[in-house]
Amino acid sequence: MEKRGVRKGASFPISPSSILPALPFLLIFGFFFLFPISRLIYVSFMSNENTFTLGNFQTAFEKPYNSGFVNSIKLGLLSAAITAIPGAVAAYFIETRGSSRLKRTISSMNGVLANTGGVPLAFMFTAALGIQGFLTQALKAVGIDLYANSFSLGTFTGLLIVYLYFQLPLMIIVFSPAISSLRREWVEAATNLGANNLQYWLRIGIPLLLPSFLASFLLLFASGFSAYATANALTVGNVPLTPLQIGGLLDGNVSAAQLNLGKALGVVMIVISACAVIPYLLIQRRVARWQTR
Amino acid sequence: MKLGKLNLPLIITLLLFGAFVVIPMGSAFEYSIRRGLEGGYGLQNYLWAVREEDFSYYLIRSTWLSAVTVLITLVILVPTLTWIHLSNSKLRELIDGLSLLPLVIPVVAFAVGAQISFPEFIQSSVMELPFLYFILALPYAYRALDIGLKAIPLKTLSEAARSAGASWLRAIVIVILPVIRSAVTATIALTFALSIGEFTMTVLLHWDTFPTWVTYVAQDNLLGAIAISMIALLVPFVLISLVALLTPEKEIKESN
Amino acid sequence: MSKENLILQSISKRFGAVHALDNFDLEVKVGELVALLGPSGCGKTTALRVVAGLERQDSGAVKLGGRDITNVPAHLRNMGMVFQAYSLFPNLSVEENVAFGLQMRKVNKRDRQKKAGELLELVGLNTQHKRFPHQLSGGQQQRVALARALAFEPEILLLDEPLSALDAQVRSNLREEIRRLQLSLGTTALFVTHDQEEAMAISDRVGVMSHGKLEQIASPDSLYNNPATEFVAGFVGVMNYIPGYQNGKSVSILGSDFKVKNSSGHQGATSALVRPESITVVAKENSSNAVVVTRSFLGASSRILCKTLDGTLIQALVPSEESSELIPGAKVQVKISANEVLVS
Repeated sequence: MEKRGVRKGASFPISPSSILPALPFLLIFGFFFLFPISRLIYVSFMSNENTFTLGNFQTAFEKPYNSGFVNSIKLGLLSAAITAIPGAVAAYFIETRGSSRLKRTISSMNGVLANTGGVPLAFMFTAALGIQGFLTQALKAVGIDLYANSFSLGTFTGLLIVYLYFQLPLMIIVFSPAISSLRREWVEAATNLGANNLQYWLRIGIPLLLPSFLASFLLLFASGFSAYATANALTVGNVPLTPLQIGGLLDGNVSAAQLNLGKALGVVMIVISACAVIPYLLIQRRVARWQTR
Repeated sequence: MKLGKLNLPLIITLLLFGAFVVIPMGSAFEYSIRRGLEGGYGLQNYLWAVREEDFSYYLIRSTWLSAVTVLITLVILVPTLTWIHLSNSKLRELIDGLSLLPLVIPVVAFAVGAQISFPEFIQSSVMELPFLYFILALPYAYRALDIGLKAIPLKTLSEAARSAGASWLRAIVIVILPVIRSAVTATIALTFALSIGEFTMTVLLHWDTFPTWVTYVAQDNLLGAIAISMIALLVPFVLISLVALLTPEKEIKESN
Repeated sequence: MSKENLILQSISKRFGAVHALDNFDLEVKVGELVALLGPSGCGKTTALRVVAGLERQDSGAVKLGGRDITNVPAHLRNMGMVFQAYSLFPNLSVEENVAFGLQMRKVNKRDRQKKAGELLELVGLNTQHKRFPHQLSGGQQQRVALARALAFEPEILLLDEPLSALDAQVRSNLREEIRRLQLSLGTTALFVTHDQEEAMAISDRVGVMSHGKLEQIASPDSLYNNPATEFVAGFVGVMNYIPGYQNGKSVSILGSDFKVKNSSGHQGATSALVRPESITVVAKENSSNAVVVTRSFLGASSRILCKTLDGTLIQALVPSEESSELIPGAKVQVKISANEVLVS
């Protein structure tokens, strides 16, 4: 026993109860993340004279910032709602029918579109859906004249279209693990026990996928709600969106009366985002029980 | 075989999804190679872009910033996660939770926080970016490494290495890193991709990198910006396709 | 009971270039437990899945008594299957899992619950009925899977390596329990395994398979004592391959002559197949023909590994009280105590 204890000790330069090995991580995480976020929250309650106030939040819910929230939430919800089901279906067929090579390739490409695409995607659509764009002309040829109603990518609808382009890949990425966690044994056991296809889906398949589907929807909402790059590249202040408003305030277009307004907007964004992401994380954790056993 | 029949839904899915991805991309590409007044096609926008001095300047800058981010990520996360897995410390739950926290915070809000918090000497150095990118990539990088470490008999390996005389650091570098190399590769790819494309944090903190440069280009030369954007999207696509074609199917299965 | 014999008639099934089943015939009688035993890839699991309807054979027929069920879809076949592992529905409680088959057969809720309760009692899990699969141990999960497969009184109970994912201790307990349940319910069962000990322990008959064909099907005793082929002999139990010289119907090994059981009339060098318990080892300093290499104490008997003068390794099973002198390095005389032997 004792010998084992000694050897175990030798494995760690420091006793297991010490937090020393985690210290670099905790320090960097604390300084570069927890500190700025706490300071953001703290400052959002500060008036220009550095006294406590709720005034920043009051302004945050007044015009024009309230419509910023409404638009951002709408953009998040709509872009998630439109892509969730097609993305889930695509993920299902790719995961269950695709070769591992295909799955891997698609997931890498989706990663590019969903995570790094923001600005390039905006310019891509500027070209594709510009007045002279091939797609615009093609749509016109089949009777859809985008520019009949003074269409522009820098409108709510325009942004929505571009957002779909990274939301659908994101849905496929986020939902695929749920599909691959459906075991073949479950379909076979259900069949063996007398269930037809429909009964399997109603009793087993859908109940197992539903939590992950909701979780994915929440994550998509958060992603659409807080996206900045695409909107920043496409609009010129004509669509009120909270991330753009915060960006504007940060760049100094701010009257002395609202010195810390941007911080309050940021805090409200965090709260809204947390309302989606925290349930997402909790559901993922719960579902992991099914996925490991 | 039934294969053809079974795969019909997959084929339809791929066609639809492919059309969804390719049509706008192809349309944009077509637009980007049009010759203005003379008509016809040419690569003039692309040539303009790559000949532009700033193109390589910002590309190189973004690349090394991303490389530094990858380095920070590995140097911080691999030892921390190895220790967590080995010691079963009570800190595990805490650190697991912390690593997910950046997902909750919109980057815009994070950027505001960063701007009002860091002292001048940090804000004046571009080296603040890799640390912030590290935080942004943390939820993904952490998970990728965590899964990799979970899958191996970490305790046995490190004890074997230690009893063979390896120092703590050597045990990680020589024994553990190679065993989790596919997780490490995934982490590197994820972190690098996220860093090199990062826009929001960078632009809000008033730094210039490749992605932010594109938006400045657009103000004078929209076609040039479009060409650069197409390069930014198509180059990774081509690389991914090549890797997929060149990797034997068997290897993919094994690493899965 | 209206149960009938299960008959597989010249079933063939290919996966690409691999013949998983090659003109495979099998009959399982009512109330019998038959094990299909063989190395991985021998087609045993495919045979089971063909019976369940989860795999469709390329040719041949599956029958229950006189009734051809080849074209009956899997969900209407009324076969209860226990899978290797992880087959319980994670979103349903233990009780709902067990009642699933009855629910699909439109049995009302009260009867379902009653029946599920009975089955859970039989497998000793009646107190766990409100739990969920992830809260159970591997062994408990397989008990629930067994209860689930039996709840709707299937024509045949199909067991696809149900113990292979479990620990040794749990494995041997559960295998006895499967046998006990199968006997008390009178269920006909087909049991697929790669573990010969498992197959021999609980089956009425064992079918040894290789390359999609049945090599031999017989009771465990006769399989062990009278293996029909060299493959069966090697796969079931431990076997020594001792070089010797065959002269028509007799073979000369270790200086003595024995009758050849599977007479081929062959003339020349061959290997004789001898079980360890048919070999005696006696310590003899002066007239030895072998040296002890290792002695493994197993309890009542000990396994002695000897090396003959020509270098052949021979395993013998000797009562422990007679083997105390047989330490490594001891000079010994090895003899074969059988009258007849198999040759390869």
